[in-house]
Amino acid sequence: MPATPHYDIVVIGSGPAGATTARYAAERGLSVLLVDKRQELGAPVQCSGAVSRHALEEVGIPLEAEFIHEAIFGFGIYNQAGEQKKIDYRLLKPEEYGPEAPKKPLGYVVDRRRFDRYLMTMAERAGVEVWLKTEGLGYRPQPDGSCRVYLRRFNEEIELSAKVLVGADGLQSQVGKWAGLRTHMKITELASCLQFVVDHVETDGLLEIITGHEWAPGGYAWVFPKGYGYAEIGLGVIRTMADDGQSAQEYLDKFIRQSFFKERFADCRVLEIQGGGVPLAAPLRQQFADNLILVGDAARHVNPITGGGIHTALSGGRIAGGFLAGLVDEGRAATEAELEGYQQSWLDELGTKMWKLYDTKTDIFRESDISVRDERLYATMSGYFSPDSEYKKI
Amino acid sequence: MTKKAPVLFDIGWNACINCGACVAICPQEAGFVSAFDTIAVNTPCDIACMLCEDICPVVTITHRPAAANSTTS
Ligand SMILES: Cc1cc2nc3c(=O)[nH]c(=O)nc-3n(C[C@H](O)[C@H](O)[C@H](O)COP(=O)(O)OP(=O)(O)OC[C@H]3O[C@@H](n4cnc5c(N)ncnc54)[C@H](O)[C@@H]3O)c2cc1C
Ligand code: SF4
Ligand code: SF4
Repeated sequence: MPATPHYDIVVIGSGPAGATTARYAAERGLSVLLVDKRQELGAPVQCSGAVSRHALEEVGIPLEAEFIHEAIFGFGIYNQAGEQKKIDYRLLKPEEYGPEAPKKPLGYVVDRRRFDRYLMTMAERAGVEVWLKTEGLGYRPQPDGSCRVYLRRFNEEIELSAKVLVGADGLQSQVGKWAGLRTHMKITELASCLQFVVDHVETDGLLEIITGHEWAPGGYAWVFPKGYGYAEIGLGVIRTMADDGQSAQEYLDKFIRQSFFKERFADCRVLEIQGGGVPLAAPLRQQFADNLILVGDAARHVNPITGGGIHTALSGGRIAGGFLAGLVDEGRAATEAELEGYQQSWLDELGTKMWKLYDTKTDIFRESDISVRDERLYATMSGYFSPDSEYKKI
Repeated sequence: MTKKAPVLFDIGWNACINCGACVAICPQEAGFVSAFDTIAVNTPCDIACMLCEDICPVVTITHRPAAANSTTS
């Protein structure tokens, strides 16, 4: 019988978290296999694609037209009545931010199909072996300190050996469940989201965020520029906070037809329909087990105030890839006790701040007086995106 | 907690946008998914918490008692 193929690292899921973990590990000389069950990464799209320039630069991603829909220069935060706090960095720091070089954008709206493919290509060029149409089915730690990983690739069942399995399989993560980790989310902490990509809605290089219980109970609505004159209109709601149990679809319809933007949206034409869940939850308390770590949405590495998870997936991937390279280089065992070090580095760099954001968010939504809650959310969002925010880097 | 009767889910595929939210919220053990990345449709769910129905942004999940169907092959 031929020996079971062995890799230092097998990564399940090639989203921002998985592709970045794989790339950082391969750059340090590890043998890495990255698998994804999809035939085309990023599709169907389950994301609006807003990400800061800093987040990309921090993990060495070139700012390529290949995946950028449109440059972003700031934010427009609205309260329920439609009053706006504009945080336009073109006006706040005109010497630094602007459309013409050497001035720079604050961030971008990216096309997740092209973006995820680009990140996978970067990993592949760093030496990672990539298999698409390959689904992770399970894993089993072995007495010799390695683990077996079970995959299905184009209907073929494959068994591999690895030192560490990385679960980067997104919000629907099954990998954490394989190890018996407590991955379950509360319905009060998963926003049900729907968005339309539309034509005939004007935007001005700002991410617009609309707060207020009436439009999006437990979450917020958004209008993002999408390039080529297109825009994204979407929202996320916490169903348990919704009036009469209304769905995201009903709220989006109401937002488009009845909000203070109804004239602006009057001619809008729907070009794409996308949705998903956004965890406004705390990071997992345990993101590791024997031979296994979780990163990105799978570990709930999502900003609980903004719902943004691309930046945290990328940084989490950098931290995970670097940690695993150290583990393999130093010949340390992939035991639960050793892998706890990954979570510790993550907490030190990012996690502790995310826990703080989670506490802020929980506190706001615990407020039972709806108008007070709305005011606090509006103030927190406005503060969050302002130049002096302590969270600017997450 | 009262013991819930097992249910079978039906997904209106025409409205499903393949967003994965139902799988994300589901407390079932690993693998309770359909071939289209939704919660399982051919296996009865004995937890019956109905969170999947609640989270679906386009309200396209419905259920019926599993027992009524258990005699079919
Ligand atoms: C509507 C919506 C809008 C959003 N907007 C934004 C935004 O504007 N900005 C932002 O920063 N974040 C946004 N987010 C959040 C962001 O999309 C996620 O946080 C981010 O994609 C997480 O990246 P990830 O790599 O952890 O997981 P994912 O991007 O979900 O990648 C997981 C990958 O794993 C693969 N996979 C899953 N299971 C298996 C398996 N068993 N075997 C093999 N492969 C598997 C999947 O095919 C997928 O490619 C939004 C989310 C939603 C739902
Ligand atoms: S009822 Fe609950 S346990 Fe059953 S499939 Fe739906 S979410 Fe999962
Ligand atoms: S939550 Fe609804 S729309 Fe999303 S995948 Fe499940 S059934 Fe389809």
